[in-house]
This record gives sequence, C-alpha cells and structure tokens, in this order.
Amino acid sequence: MNALGLAPLILIFPVIGVLFNALFGAAFVNTDRKVGEKWSGWFATLMAFASFAIVVLLAIGLRQNEFHREIIYLFDWIRIPSFDFYARWAMQIDTLSVTMMLVVTGVGSIIHVYSIGYMHGDRNFSRYFTYLSLFLFFMLILVSGSSYLVLFVGWEGVGLCSYLLISFWFSRVDKDGVWMNANAGRKAFVVNRIGDFAIILAIILTFYTFSTLEFEPIFEQAIEIFQSGEEVVLFANETFGTPGVTVGLGTVLTIITFLFLIGATGKSAQLILHVWLPDAMAGPTPASSLIHAATMVTAGVYLIVRSNVLYELARASGVTVIGNLTSSDVVALVGASTALYAALIAFTQYDIKKVLAYSTISQLGFMIAAAGMGAYVAAIFHLITHAFFKALLFMAAGSVIHGMEHGHHEVAHEGGHDDPDFDPQDMRYMGGLKDKMRATFWPYLIGALALAGIFPFAGFWSKDEILAHASANQGNYNVFLIVYIMLTLAAMGTAFYMARQLRMVFWGKPRSEAAGHAHESSRLMTIPLAILAFFGVVAGLFNLPRFGGTAVLPQTDLILEKWLEHALLVFELAEERVLEVPHTPTSLQIDVAGISLALALIALLGGFYLYRNKPQTAADPDPTQKIPGLWSFFGRLPLNTLYMRGIVVLFNRFTHWLAGPFEWAFWHDFVHDRLIRDQFVAFANFMANVIDQYGVDGIVNGVGIVTARFAGWVRQSQTGFARSYALSIFLGAVLLLVYFLWPFLTGQ
Amino acid sequence: MLTFLTFFPLLGVLALLLLKPLKKDSDNAIKGIAIGTSALTFLISVALLLQFNTSDPALQFVQQASWIPTWGIQYYMGVDGISILMVLLTTIISLLAIIASWSAIKEQKLMYYVLMLLLQVGMMGVFLAQDLFLFYIFWEFTLIPMYFMIGIWGGQRRVYAAIKFFLYTMAGSLLMLLAILYMGITNETFAVPDLINGREAFANVQTWLFLGFGIAFAIKVPIFPFHSWLPDAHTEAPTAGSVILAGVLLKMGTYGFIRFNLPLFPQASVDFAPLIAVLAIIGIIYGAMVAFAQKDAKKLVAYSSISHLGFVMLGIFALNSAGVQGGILQGFNHGISSGALFFIVGVLYEQRHTRMMKDYGGVWRIMPIFTALTLIVVLSSMGLPGLNGFVGEFSILLGSMGAVSLSPAWVYTAFATTGVILAAVYLLWMFQRVFMGPLENEENKKLRDINRRELFIMLAFLVFIFWIGIYPSPYFNVMQSTVTGLLDNMSQAVVLIAP
Repeated sequence: MNALGLAPLILIFPVIGVLFNALFGAAFVNTDRKVGEKWSGWFATLMAFASFAIVVLLAIGLRQNEFHREIIYLFDWIRIPSFDFYARWAMQIDTLSVTMMLVVTGVGSIIHVYSIGYMHGDRNFSRYFTYLSLFLFFMLILVSGSSYLVLFVGWEGVGLCSYLLISFWFSRVDKDGVWMNANAGRKAFVVNRIGDFAIILAIILTFYTFSTLEFEPIFEQAIEIFQSGEEVVLFANETFGTPGVTVGLGTVLTIITFLFLIGATGKSAQLILHVWLPDAMAGPTPASSLIHAATMVTAGVYLIVRSNVLYELARASGVTVIGNLTSSDVVALVGASTALYAALIAFTQYDIKKVLAYSTISQLGFMIAAAGMGAYVAAIFHLITHAFFKALLFMAAGSVIHGMEHGHHEVAHEGGHDDPDFDPQDMRYMGGLKDKMRATFWPYLIGALALAGIFPFAGFWSKDEILAHASANQGNYNVFLIVYIMLTLAAMGTAFYMARQLRMVFWGKPRSEAAGHAHESSRLMTIPLAILAFFGVVAGLFNLPRFGGTAVLPQTDLILEKWLEHALLVFELAEERVLEVPHTPTSLQIDVAGISLALALIALLGGFYLYRNKPQTAADPDPTQKIPGLWSFFGRLPLNTLYMRGIVVLFNRFTHWLAGPFEWAFWHDFVHDRLIRDQFVAFANFMANVIDQYGVDGIVNGVGIVTARFAGWVRQSQTGFARSYALSIFLGAVLLLVYFLWPFLTGQ
Repeated sequence: MLTFLTFFPLLGVLALLLLKPLKKDSDNAIKGIAIGTSALTFLISVALLLQFNTSDPALQFVQQASWIPTWGIQYYMGVDGISILMVLLTTIISLLAIIASWSAIKEQKLMYYVLMLLLQVGMMGVFLAQDLFLFYIFWEFTLIPMYFMIGIWGGQRRVYAAIKFFLYTMAGSLLMLLAILYMGITNETFAVPDLINGREAFANVQTWLFLGFGIAFAIKVPIFPFHSWLPDAHTEAPTAGSVILAGVLLKMGTYGFIRFNLPLFPQASVDFAPLIAVLAIIGIIYGAMVAFAQKDAKKLVAYSSISHLGFVMLGIFALNSAGVQGGILQGFNHGISSGALFFIVGVLYEQRHTRMMKDYGGVWRIMPIFTALTLIVVLSSMGLPGLNGFVGEFSILLGSMGAVSLSPAWVYTAFATTGVILAAVYLLWMFQRVFMGPLENEENKKLRDINRRELFIMLAFLVFIFWIGIYPSPYFNVMQSTVTGLLDNMSQAVVLIAP
C-alpha cells in the first residue's frame, strides 16, 4: 500500500487526543496533579508527534509517487443530486498541503512539549491540551481538504479553537472589572466571521461558476475556459427554463478572488480586519505562539497560494477592482500596507507580546503581499521561516514572562515592594535579563535577528526573496514598485523595533525588583527554544538562492521551489506559455539584498543606540515620541479605536434601541396591546353598551348580538377569564365565517 | 399505519385517565406512561421511515375514507418527502420534551402529560393530513393543549402570553379557513392532491388564496413583522413547552408554505417570493439584533428563532431544490438546536429560578460537563461547519444565490449571509455572560452539574447535531424526489418574467 493511504491517520491521532483529554483528562489531573499532568500533557504531545511522523511518511510517499498529488476520499458530505451539488470529505495530498502539514505538526509538536512546562499547575491543564489537539485536528483539515468547502470547515474550526484558547482564562477581569479575556476571544471570533461572510459567498459563486468545489477540477476548468475565451453562464435554471446570466471569466474570478482576499484579511489579520490579533495575546503564550503566530494566521496566505491559478487568471484578464488595480494587485497592496502599518505600531508598544503580535501582523503582510505579486513560493518560504522564528520569539517571550512572574512572587514572598502597577509583560519593568535567563536570551536573540532579516539567519533569505521578486518585476506590473518600497521600509522598521525590544528586555539594569529576581524557566521550556533556534538559523537553506546562476550546494538548490512546483499550477501555465506570470529570480539579487541588509543593520544598530538607557521608568518618554505622528496617530491604534469606539458602540446603541424602544415599547406594547387589543375591547364595550342601553335588538341582526356579547366577555378576560376570551373569539369567528359564506352554502 | 402513528399517543392518554379511578396515579406511573407512550410513538415513526420509499415522490402509506361526503371532506392521510422529516422531528422532540419535564413540572402532573400527548397527536396530524379540512382541524387543535400549557404551567405573565398566543394564531387561521372553505366548496373536494391537479380553477384568485394561507403560516413561523406573540409565548411557557414550540410548532408554518402555498398557488408563490424573501432577510437581521440586546436568556433564544426561521423562509422561496431542501433541513436543525437551547436555559432556570444573564457568570467552573455540551449546541446554532446548522444554512444560501424568483439574487444572498456574523455576535455574548467571567454570585456556587437524565437529553440532541453536520446525505435523500417533483410541478404553471 502506498504511504499516502495513511493520510487519514493525521486526523485520527488528534481526535484521539481530544477524546482522551476531554473525557479523562480532568479526572486524571484532579486525582493526582503530578501524574495527571504527565498523562494529559504527554498523551496529547504523543498524538501530535504521531501525526508529525505520518506527515513525514506522506512526504516520502509523495516523492516516491513522483510528486503526483493523491486525493484520499473519505465519505460523502453534503449531497444534493437534484442540484448537482456534491461535497465530500476528501484529503488532497500534494507538495503544498504536505509542506503546510509539516509546519503545523512539526512546530505544533514542539509547542506541545513547551506547553507541558508552561501550563504546569494550571487548574485547567487538561482542558488546554484538549483545545490544542482540537486545533491540530482542524488545522490539518484546513490544509489537507481537497475542496473549498472542506477547507472552510478547518478554517472555522481553527477559529473556534482560537476563540477557546484566547478566552482560556475566562474568569480574569482587569482592574475596571472588564472580562478582558472573554471579550478578546469573542472579538476574535466575530471579526473572523466578517471574513467568513465573504468566504461563504465566494464558495457559492465558485460553485455556480464551475459546478464543483474541488480544487483541481476548478483550476483545470478555469484554465480551459480561459484558453477557449468563452464566457461563463451562471444561475441557469432548467426546471423553470431560465437562461441565467452570462459573464466573462475574468469578472467572475475577480469577484471570487476579491472575496477570498476579504476572508484572508480576517484570518491572517490584515488591514482592516487585523484588530482581533493584538487582543488575542490574552491567551496562554504557547497558544499565541502556535495559533496566533506560526500556523492559524497563515491560513489566509495558504488560501491565496492554493488559489494561485484563479489569482493569476484574474490578473491576466485585466479586470479591475478599483482604478487600474486587479484583484491580485489589491492583495499585494493590502499586504504591503499592513506590513508597514503594523511595523509602525510595533514602535509604540510596551507589552512584550503586543510588540510580537504587531510584528506578526506585519510579517503576514509580507506573505500576503508576496502571494499578491505571484511570488507563491516566496510566500510559503517566508511562512515557513516565520513559523520557526516567530514561534521561537513567542515562546521565549513566554519564558521571560514566566521568569518575571516568578521573580515577582519571590519579591512578594520576601516582603519586598514592587511598583503597584507592575505588569510582567511590560518591557519597562524588565531589563538586564540577559544574564539571568541565558537559555532564553540566546534563542531570543537568534529569533530577533532572523526576524530583522539579518544575514545569514532564516528571515533574511525569505524576506529577500519577496523583495527580489517585487524589484525584478516592477517594470511589468504597476504596483510592484510601491509594494517594494513599502516592504523595504517595513523591513527596516522591523529591525528597529526588535532592537528596541532586545535592549529593553535583556540589556541594561533591571528596572524592577521582579526583573532583579527573575530566573530561568524549566528545561521543558528551554529545550524547545533551542530546537526552534536551530531552525531560525538554518531554515534559509530550504530555499537558498543561487549565486550568479550557480547553486551553492547542489543538494539544497532551491529545494522548496522544486518541491512546490508540483502543486502550484501556475508553474505549469508559465512553462506551457498559457499565460504570463511574474517570475521570481532564482539567484540572489545583490543590490536588493544589499540595500535591505544595510537598512536593517542601520535600524538595528540605531535602535540599539537610541534605547541604550531609555526609557527608565513608565513615566520616561520613549525616544521615538519626537517623531511627529508616530505616537499620536499609530500609537493610538486608530483602526482598533474605530472598531471598539465606533462600530461596536454604534452596534450596541442601535440594537438596544431596536430591542427596547422599537421592538418592545412600540411594536409589542403600543401597536399590539394599545392599538389593536385596547381598541378592540373599547369597540366591543361600545357595542355592548349601545345594545344594553337603547335596546336596539331589532336593528342589529343576530350575528351582531352574538359578536357583541362575546366581545363583552373579552373585557372580562382582562381580569382573568382567559378561556372564555379565547372561546368567544373562536365562536365569533366561526359565526362570522358562516355569515360570509352563506351565499355559497345556500347557492348550492 | 399513519392513523396508528398519529393517534397512538391517545392510548397513553387513556391509560393516564384510567390511573385516577384505579388509584394508581403515582408520579412515577404518570411519567412512566407518558414517556413510554412517546417512546413507542417515536419507534413507530422510525419504523415508518425505514419503510419509506425515498425514490417515490408521491404520497405514501395513504389512508383515505369519506368523512362528510356532501362537502367532499375526506379523512385523508399520507406521507411524502416533505413531511416525513417533520413527523420524525415531532416524535423526537415530543419524547425529549416529555423527559425534560420530569422534575420541572410539579403541579397537576396528570393533566400536563395528557395535554402533552394530545399535542403530539395534533402535531402529527398537521404533518400527515392531506385533506384541507382535516388539516385545519389538526392545526387548530394544536392550539388548545399549548394554550393550557402556557396558561397553567407558565411563568408570571402566563395568562397574558397564553391569550396572546391563542388569539394571534387564531386570527391568522381564520383567513386560512376562509381560503380553505372557498377552495373546498368551489372544487367540491378538500383533498390536496386533487386541488393541486385542479388548481386552474382558482388560478385567477390565487393571490388572495395565497395571502389567506400565507398570513396564517407567516404568523406561525413567525415572519417579521408577525412575530410579536413569540417572545411572550416562549418566555412564559414551561421549558418543555418552549422546546416543542420552537422545535415543532413553528415548523408547521414553514411546512404549510411548502405543502400548500407552493403547489396550490405557484404563480402567486413566484410573485410573492421577493416580498417574502425581503421579510425573511429582515427577520434574519432584526431577530439577531434584537436577540443580542436581550437581558433574559430565554428571550434571546426566542428572538434567535426569528432569525433562524428567516433562513428557512428564504430557502423555501428560492424555489430551487437546494433552497427548498435546505429550508426543510434547516427547519429540522432549528428544532434540534433551538430545542436544545431552550432545554439548556431550562436546566439553569430549574436550579436558579432566574433567566437573567446578569445573575450568572462563571458557571463553566461549576458545571463543566454541561458547559462543554452547551458550547457544542451554541456552535451548532451559529452554523459552525461540521455541525448541523451549517449544512442547512449553506444549502439555503446556495439556493438563494441561484434563485430565479429573486432578482438580483446575489443581493438577497449577501444580506442573508450577514446573519452568519450576527449569529456569532449574539450567541457568543450569551455564552460569555452565562458561562464565562468570574464566579461572583454565591448562588451560582451551589449549582450542580447535570444529572444523568439531563445528560441523556443533551446527548440525544448532540447525536443529531453531529450526524447532520457530518453526514447529512440520508436527510437529503429522503426529501429529494418529492421536492424535485414539487418544483417540476410548479414550473408547469408559472410564467417567469426573465430577470
């Protein structure tokens, strides 16, 4: 049997992990914490490693299969034969999905180990690992699904896990009594749903265009239609014989790809739906590391890279979204603006995790921009290196926070005093941790240098490939030049804020007693850091460029590109000259690399110098506050403020108005009770009184009397004779009907 | 078979009524008989499903007898792909509702369970009757037990709510009765299949007839703006009453549209489709927004029904097989998910005697099992893919995007899809306020996690939530040929103005 047949196991292992911890975990941990934590944590970790092992087998199997993709059919899902709609549970094993799986299970397994150390002693230890296994399950569905609909299952599923992990410490309140963790989780889910709204529409439109939701048939059909130059017929209905709407392929694809972009901005935290990610840092740090840095947030990048054919055809069709921008151009611009915007905000953050969160948003912007420029391999390359060094940075930051918390406890224990506003995540209370936490410091430094794009660390290579692509193709595509400039500036900013962070956290003197008493975290936490640091150094080898056209090491020559070209149809299209696509240079562009490296070094050293002894206390101004607009605009998180103070407040006010004054006071009470009921009762009373007082029996006919009498009962019913009220109406109604229908009845 | 199924609960009623003279009316005997009867009814309905021929679009297990020959009224029962799921929903929800009443109902138990079983007869009759007059009798009959259930075992404003429920529904039904009598008398038959074949005869007045039926059903569904009775009825009804109300009674409205309005008045259905779709979409958005602003958890769930039922109506009036099948399935889904949500509120209410969300908070720490199961129900109601709600919603949106009756369909679909965002907004808000946050209220620390009976009910709901979410094919199979047949039949009598 082919190794690819093992694919379902990668989903089964995490499910076993979920069931184990959901059913028995709490019982284990509650009976004996020490043994229970071991079982709970290591069982989940074992399942993650088991999935990783299977993924490695899949990668080997794919190689033996000469890189041909394999569809593993599981069973039917939504089947509506009368609508020709067939959705099935199936996995697509190709080089792209296996690459993603390797990242997810590889980094995921390491983070599992780290979590055992980090979550030690938490009351809900097993619940945490339930979520982590559940996350792996959904993330693997996301990257392995063979259709947009199955991808969407994973997409929403990881969103759910993100929600659960962000609000993991749901009972926490801040000093104003706000349930910040629960709120942050909900914000993440809701903002993501705005993106999902677009994805649902895109999926439906895709179905009407191609009559299927499976990736490969869609792409093949799209190419065929493109080559034939025919138009697409949407919404034809055979039953009613309506012809439907005829539109050009380019138009449809532009709409679909634009909607996918909106979805990607939600999940991958791009402008303007990025507002949830900084808040998401409320979750446990290893979860931030896995979900909100390394894997889940790259789902949007994966979606766009997976749809590479659709984006390239949309670009080639020349159909524009606004101005002269194709949907791919919009993708590139959104990514580049996000990269720059978030990098600037990172300048103004004091929370160690928030800096990394904005940095993640910024780096995701690089990936999205790369995908938008058609540099799909570079996007995935950066995704991989970023997964390593950003997971590393987050976990090392977690270790720092852990150290600070322990220091804080120690100080309190010894009767010392610390600042009452002390916050273990605030960098202004840190300083000098370099010597106290060496096993955390060195990996952190490597991660920071990799992120800053310093030669020869991983980030340098992947970032440079994106910049080289932008620079090399800027003559042919109108937005590439501006994207190139924005990304270069963002890269420079990255080096600056990382220098600031390094200096504030690790150098100088401890600025709080807690920092003075901080000490190193357990091995369970530092060994994973060392492993990731190793990859932070060497991951550039995965797609090392050539130098002047010759490979440095023949064995590692453009591994990733050669591997991914079997999954990315655009390569085939370019080779067969079906359409023109932008090419990524295979050799190192000395000028591009030189400029970006020089700028990064300047920013790094400049930042390092600028923060040599600043800021010393919380009141001490930050040196960059002199830059006009930086703190007054970016520092105030304009879009987040717009969301929280604008949209959320307006929505609250409007819905409360709708539910209170409109729905209840007006529609429920006034119209129904005052207008309809009371007027009816008054009318009935009037009738009854007229009859009683003047005895006009002879004038009003029989039906009238009966109705009036019954209506008189209605008044009584207000004091509780409900049954007679109802009965009277019923009988009255029957009589009215008899009256109206009399002609029919007698006419026969 | 169908007569046996419909009236089987009457045997239980008989047994219950005999208990008192025999002096054996202990609590356990009453509950035992009620549960036993309902469980057997459920098994009979499963047996019916197993014998049901899914490839036959026509009515099956037909039972026909002359009843009032002078007026052409028959006793006419039959089941097809449109009604079988509703029958199943009725037997499932009734059984679960009766079990859920175990400890919640403390007064006049005998009468309560008699009414429950009678209600079940009425609901089943509504879904199985194929003669308009017979249908109307069952339709009105369901009001009576429900009226007493709200009025006797309800909350503080129960009398007001009961009357309002009764009158509101009754008022709508009268117009339907007019339409029924008109059609029956002019055609000398009340049998639905015969009327469909002879619909030419009243084609010229179909707009009015459509309205006669439509308003009755619109109130039942309820479609915005006819929903004013619903929050009262739901909040005042006992838990089991709300479960049945949301689970089954509202579906009588959507079922009515599919069973009667579409085939009897096809042209009017097409003509009214845009209006109904607009109201449905307003319902989706309005229901969700109003739900969000509620303080009372039960009212929140009640308003969420308006939102969900908006999806069902949109699907039905998309007039294609994805939309209609999605609509029927989503009706079933809503029965499961909202039934479960009402049950959840009931579990909390039974212990804390409050439905105000501010009285809760931090319940997760005290009731972890209950919370985990609740979360799944909440997610199902939110339409998380992999659970039942998504399958229904997606099919509906798929249908509405290609609806020939709506123009431009994509605008309708885009607005309806915002319901997906709003559902997350109000459901997560409810979940947060009740289950998350700090555990501050001392009363909440005394809560106990669910017992085995409650666990059983929750798991029963979850079976359907997962089954329909992961493998819904059997459900579509059951409906498929009848729905296709219905749409084909409609298309023959419809002139479409091309968009």
